[in-house]
Amino acid sequence: MLVPPVSHDARLIDELFRVVYVLSFIVFIIVEGLIIYAVIKFRRRRADEMPEQVHGNTAAEIGWTVVPALAVGVVFGFSVDTLNRMTARGSPTAPLAHVHSLNDTEARRRIEEAKQVDLVIEVVGRQWVWQYTYPDGKLTTNETLVVPAGKTIRLDLTTPDVIHAWWMPAFGPMIYVNPGEVSYVWFNVPPGEYIGQCNVFCGVAHAQMISKVRALPQDEYERWYQEQLAALSGPTATGDPQRGQDIFMNQNICWSCHSIEGTKAQGKVAPRTLTGFANYDTIAEVVPNTADNLRAWLHDPQAIKPGTTMPNLNLSAQDIEDLVAYLQTLK
Amino acid sequence: MASVSIPARTEYLRHGLVSWLATVDHKRIGIMYLASTFVFFLLSGLMALVIRLQLTAPGLQIVNQDLYNQLFTMHGTGMIFLFTIPCLVGFANYFLPLQIGARDVAFPRLNALSLWLLIFAGVVMEGGFLLGILGLLPGGASNAAWTAYVPLSNKQFSPQIGMDIWLLGVVLLGISSTLGAVNFLVTAYTMRAQGMTIWRIPMFVWAMIVTAAMVLIATPVLTAALAMLIADRNFATQFFNTANARLWQHMFWFYSHPAVYIMILPAMGIVSEILPVFARKPLFGLKAVVVSTILIGVLGFTTWVHHMFVSGVDPIVERFFMLTTMIIAVPTGVKMFNWLFTMLGGSLNLKTPLLMCLGFLSTFVIGGLTGVIQALIPLDMQLHNTYWVVAHFHYVLFGGSVFGIFAGFYYWLPKITGRLLDDKLGKLHFALMWVGFNLTFFPMHFLGLMGMPRRIATYTADRGWELGNLIATIGAFMVAVSVLIFMVNFVRSLRHGARAGNDPWEGNTLEWTVTSPPPEHNFDTLPTVESERPARDLRLAASNPTVPAH
Ligand code: HEC
Ligand code: HEM
Ligand SMILES: [Cu+2]
Repeated sequence: MLVPPVSHDARLIDELFRVVYVLSFIVFIIVEGLIIYAVIKFRRRRADEMPEQVHGNTAAEIGWTVVPALAVGVVFGFSVDTLNRMTARGSPTAPLAHVHSLNDTEARRRIEEAKQVDLVIEVVGRQWVWQYTYPDGKLTTNETLVVPAGKTIRLDLTTPDVIHAWWMPAFGPMIYVNPGEVSYVWFNVPPGEYIGQCNVFCGVAHAQMISKVRALPQDEYERWYQEQLAALSGPTATGDPQRGQDIFMNQNICWSCHSIEGTKAQGKVAPRTLTGFANYDTIAEVVPNTADNLRAWLHDPQAIKPGTTMPNLNLSAQDIEDLVAYLQTLK
Repeated sequence: MASVSIPARTEYLRHGLVSWLATVDHKRIGIMYLASTFVFFLLSGLMALVIRLQLTAPGLQIVNQDLYNQLFTMHGTGMIFLFTIPCLVGFANYFLPLQIGARDVAFPRLNALSLWLLIFAGVVMEGGFLLGILGLLPGGASNAAWTAYVPLSNKQFSPQIGMDIWLLGVVLLGISSTLGAVNFLVTAYTMRAQGMTIWRIPMFVWAMIVTAAMVLIATPVLTAALAMLIADRNFATQFFNTANARLWQHMFWFYSHPAVYIMILPAMGIVSEILPVFARKPLFGLKAVVVSTILIGVLGFTTWVHHMFVSGVDPIVERFFMLTTMIIAVPTGVKMFNWLFTMLGGSLNLKTPLLMCLGFLSTFVIGGLTGVIQALIPLDMQLHNTYWVVAHFHYVLFGGSVFGIFAGFYYWLPKITGRLLDDKLGKLHFALMWVGFNLTFFPMHFLGLMGMPRRIATYTADRGWELGNLIATIGAFMVAVSVLIFMVNFVRSLRHGARAGNDPWEGNTLEWTVTSPPPEHNFDTLPTVESERPARDLRLAASNPTVPAH
């Protein structure tokens, strides 16, 4: 493989590839060699030459049936052996361990028990971004996944829209992420920066559905993680909640789509009520509910959740600050 | 006996437009098949050039992403459904009756219906595409790839009418090719000349028999899937709702993998016709070639899940389909060696038809080998949906089918037009096409191994994919020039080409016993066949009545 393999499975794939590459190359040379030989040796030299009328040769024909059949058998054996030694796949005794229906709790339990892992990341592939959420749900990153190197990582992949495939060429196997199902990927890689992208055509911006993995030594990883958390909980709302409420209810049209108990806002467009919004874990069920994410959401909802029906309302920075302050009072 | 060329007898070709529209003559229908599918080839080829231009260098925006997606969707659909499959049917229309010594196909009117359905579907699809890219259809043309996976192709994610137009077009094509298949099977079964026993059936006819049987079994499944998707999109049925997304993949590939053999077997048939003629030797191991054709037809139905190895199938099922896919290499290899040994020890007449066959052999073997490599599940997990796959299937479809089709053109056009194509121009065409083809598609193997996914409208400069893509684009334009040369050659031949006579190549099969073009009713007296090379028998008997023919 031209992308240097860094994981256990990628190295197995690489080995198998080398074996069949050599075998194929031999066949290739034989066939092309015979073509060239025939053209040089058996060109028509005289217009009236008449070659011997050979109709066939049973022994030879049995030969070139049996030998390739044996080769196929051998290569098949090699491949099954490789498959059995790969870690990222279900085996015949634990069928479908790598993909199963979202609510198949039994399969989920088997997955949990099958392999000891150090870190589990929830991955959502949506048109057209990969989003990685860390274990306690506080931190979500887009596009780039940062993991500790030399640790076993499991990705639990889902999609809310169409089929995607998660693939890092350097890690080997790719996996489809199907609607209504969870797919799993396991890997354990050395420190480095890796790049890959969605590998099932998923609509207009499929080419932009890039994914990067940055594997850091454990201590660096932990530092990175703490920094991210700190940035998140950073400066909370500094705006004026009173003014925010006024924008929500009077100056702007938020109220027409949203509902908040005991106010004039009784809109039915947004799927969930904003009553108690401050206690929600997420904004629009995609990113953690933090002040910064809320700012980003109000600034441009499409950027956070492409395809959402919440429009961009072209709010000024001050309006956003005040709205954030107001929304955070909705306990 | 060979008939004498009387101009008046080919007068039927010169009648006006109305007679062409109304004709049920298999030869004229065959000509219209070949002509219309060639136009579709050119259209899909132009789309390929735009695709290649866009990918020449990182970050190019010659077309926007949505347009790019529409382009490769129609490129693939057009090449498969509007060119390769029906073009080979066009050859069969013209030559299958002639080769078996029949006056027409069994159901001439059904035959005309197949043709007009094809043309209508082609106009609907290309028209929808054109309106779409011109911005006259809201949402544009179909842009969900030729595989149209759900849920991407359902109403929610592809709301545009262009998607329905595309689906409808493919349905019509399915009906057209099913009708054609019935016709060929019945014709080959019931209308063979006296003496044409099972082992004397020409190889191209054998290929069409197996192909037609495959079409009959496979196409209804695709048509059903398309109809279900149309219903999902327009009548709120739930055949392919999220819980059933994989059902579409099964139904689609149950047709579309056999479709690969539907495209390659007739081309293999053409090669099996041409090699013995141009080597002046019988086909080596004729029975083995026939049996392997049938085996490929049967095994072709046992491999479709290899397209789904990474979409989540049961491990046991996967291993089964890995094995069956690999086994197909065995009958394919048998054919390869039989062809090679037909040439070895022969007297090779290195004219363009033979060169095109050599093009087939030398490139198809690469497609065959990369196919086996991909069939191995561990390798497929790394190669699936990458440019490696694009390289692989172009080596099979272009390196195989298209070289076979051009071999057929150089071999049989003289029979159709009565004029030979120029051999020098033909060789130039071959050389440019062979080199251009390999420049285009060989680097794609490496791009795939470097992790370049297929169906991406652009890429960034940090991935190391520049050189391969640049070479591929240069190669694509060489192919385009070579096709232009072919067209010039063809048009010139109509006026200036040397007269073909009945039999310019010392052919083996019955079409070479009649005039070029053949008379309207094909044969004055229905021929009797005494070996698998009846035309040769007649030729030898005429030149030396005392020597036994075979
Ligand atoms: C046209 C209707 C519409 C208007 C106007 C609108 N929203 Fe929304 N909003 C939505 C919808 C729909 C959602 C749910 C988005 C989703 O889940 O995709 C949403 C989601 C939200 C959320 C996240 C709620 C949750 O359930 O996580 C917040 C906060 C929000 N909107 C604030 C506002 C504010 C503040 C305004 C006014 C400046 C506003 N919206 C105007 C339709 C609207
Ligand atoms: C000069 C000739 C050709 C060139 C340069 C060319 C180029 C390409 C390229 C670059 C792609 C990949 C597009 C992408 O994934 O983004 C593609 C796809 C494809 N090509 Fe070609 N091609 C040519 C001829 C053919 C022929 C002769 C056939 C079939 C007989 C064919 C069938 C297909 C199919 C089926 C696809 C897949 C479309 C899809 O992904 O939906 N091509 N072609
Ligand atoms: Cu995607």
